[in-house]
Amino acid sequence: MKVTFPRLGSMHIFCKAIAETAGIPYILPPETSRKTLTLGVLHSNECICLPFKIILGNFIEALQMGADTIVMVGSGPPCRLGLYDLVQKVILEDMGLHYRWLTIPPRFSWKALWKNHEETKDLRKELSARNVLFFPYGLWMGWKKMMACEALERLAMKVRPMELKKGETQKRLKKALSLVDEAKTQKTVEEAIQNGKTLLQEMEQDRSRIPFRVAIVGELYTVMDPHINRGVEQKLGELGVEVTRTSWFSTHILRSLRKNKADRASERVRFFEASKAYLGYDVGAECNISIGEAILRAQEGYDGIVHLMPFACMPETTASGILTKVGRDRDIPILTLILDEQEIEGRIQTLLEAFVEMLEWKRKAA
Amino acid sequence: MEEKGRIGIPRALMFYRYLPLWRPFFERLGWRVKISDGARQKEKIIYFEDSCLPMKLLVTHAVQLKDKVDHLFIPRLVSIHRTYIMCPKFRGAPDIVRLATEGNVSILDETIDLRKGGMSLLQTFLRIGEKLGASRQESKRAFREAEKSFSKFQKDWVDRINRLPTAQLFEMDVPMSPVRKKAPFRIAFIGHPYNLFDTDINKDLLALAKSLQMEIVTSDLLSEKEIDREVSDLSKEIYWSSGREIVGSLFHFLSDGVDGVVFLTSFKCGIDALLQEFIKRRLKVQGRASVPLLILSLDEHTGREGLTTRLEAFRDVVEEQKKLQSSNVARSDEPKVNQVQINYK
Repeated sequence: MKVTFPRLGSMHIFCKAIAETAGIPYILPPETSRKTLTLGVLHSNECICLPFKIILGNFIEALQMGADTIVMVGSGPPCRLGLYDLVQKVILEDMGLHYRWLTIPPRFSWKALWKNHEETKDLRKELSARNVLFFPYGLWMGWKKMMACEALERLAMKVRPMELKKGETQKRLKKALSLVDEAKTQKTVEEAIQNGKTLLQEMEQDRSRIPFRVAIVGELYTVMDPHINRGVEQKLGELGVEVTRTSWFSTHILRSLRKNKADRASERVRFFEASKAYLGYDVGAECNISIGEAILRAQEGYDGIVHLMPFACMPETTASGILTKVGRDRDIPILTLILDEQEIEGRIQTLLEAFVEMLEWKRKAA
Repeated sequence: MEEKGRIGIPRALMFYRYLPLWRPFFERLGWRVKISDGARQKEKIIYFEDSCLPMKLLVTHAVQLKDKVDHLFIPRLVSIHRTYIMCPKFRGAPDIVRLATEGNVSILDETIDLRKGGMSLLQTFLRIGEKLGASRQESKRAFREAEKSFSKFQKDWVDRINRLPTAQLFEMDVPMSPVRKKAPFRIAFIGHPYNLFDTDINKDLLALAKSLQMEIVTSDLLSEKEIDREVSDLSKEIYWSSGREIVGSLFHFLSDGVDGVVFLTSFKCGIDALLQEFIKRRLKVQGRASVPLLILSLDEHTGREGLTTRLEAFRDVVEEQKKLQSSNVARSDEPKVNQVQINYK
């Protein structure tokens, strides 16, 4: 058995940590590249959303490298993400690739548990006692590493606009993340976090700068993965913008575990409430959150919003229509970037530069 | 009864299924129902958001009506099935229209969610009646009568499709043309109702089909059980009711009962894009024999000429297959029909 999983931001560090700690053999799909995307595009059609194509590309590459078991996070209605596995299975089968599939149910229910039980029947026979015994520890380790990665990324977002040498933050962040990734025990993980943090903090910075504050909202895959959004976060940072986002891998795991429902004051609940000024119903996925976050960020005095979505994404298309209006009503610049497989990195750079210039005028005028 | 005012219903989206239910309800309550004319020309379409053509048409029709009516009826269609749901765009549709009409007109946007039980549709209409100042009794009576006329409409539906021009499909008291000679080709037209019946979207493909001697069959012919049978063994449940209907009826018709299948989809329709890939691949993987399948993807740039060429070519294919099949049967060979796919965009 060789397990593989999709790549999304620094999520692979989480999955890798679980597999490594529990001693389950795995294959890490190669970093998402042009080739990954081309594979995904070739085997789907133009109106299927970008995350589908990238995940499909990841799987094809991993299967070609010898993986045989795919672990995929599930999701529920009404967005298309919930049916990715149904369609991807048939596509892989049609391509003549052999695989076994395990979907992690998005929400705990007895029905999902039963389906999971059926799916894992054969797989469990291949697991050794050690695998099973160490699995909870693996989960804990993965969670720890993921929180570490997110803390480091947050820190990088903060210091990036201050960097003196362009690109230095990104270099150090990469180093810091790989430190976390390589750590094997609880103690070394703690050390890696500390070392990573110092690495970023000790960078030469111009602390006199007053960076613009911009929030990134939108569909979770495009927000979280720098390969899908062509490094919007990094590009904005290097243009002197302090970026904020509330969509993290851990946010979505907690959400599906219904953990942050109890916490009424949590940010997502606040965003959802705020979106009611424009939307009378829960459209699904991140639609309401995108709108609500834009409204509240405008109130909090942010300089602008960058809204990311894949081409033809169903909930975010609704959001983008409404966001145009929000921007006008609340006097906050909103830049919507619709992403697909086209080579648009240069164009995104130009758009972001223009956007930041506009923020500068706005600041001068004020 | 004295006329209380006007209710506007945009000629878009689920208008193409539920008008015969909605219209009598308002009329029984003493309101005049005004239906928008249609966009007719590409230049008139309003691009409020970058959505699929059916959604853009909803906005276009609503804006067209806004100064002519007292209320616009744009229900929030969350679910029209007891288990399955609608496309997420329908959930935000009333809000999009509210922004596009700049709040100039009152919008009746009550939520229709049939997952909440058998009485929920009545509850929704009672709420609408309440907003319009009708008593519970009046609303209830109006709804019952509307339901009656809707079920009568549904009974005639199969006849209607083949005997009425597309523009009159949803009008109640129109004389039907006499039954014509049975057309030589039975073709199933599958897709969302608005893709099938909105002539702004499909340039009246159904009329074209009739002129090519095709008898039109839609998924309305199939019972829910027949559709469920085709999709029940999937590894994951398709949770959109329209998607289920499309996949189920496509699989059904591709293997049985008709000479050819035409699948109409809108460009940028998320559900269709994903399920279309699924259908094509599954047919290939299973190696099922199937009748010819034509997938037409439509948007505002679609021209009638292009559609005509495609449909004519498709008819030829169907004709050839039919000939081949009957000669095969005559020679008592195993009838094997290859799958033909023509993609048009």
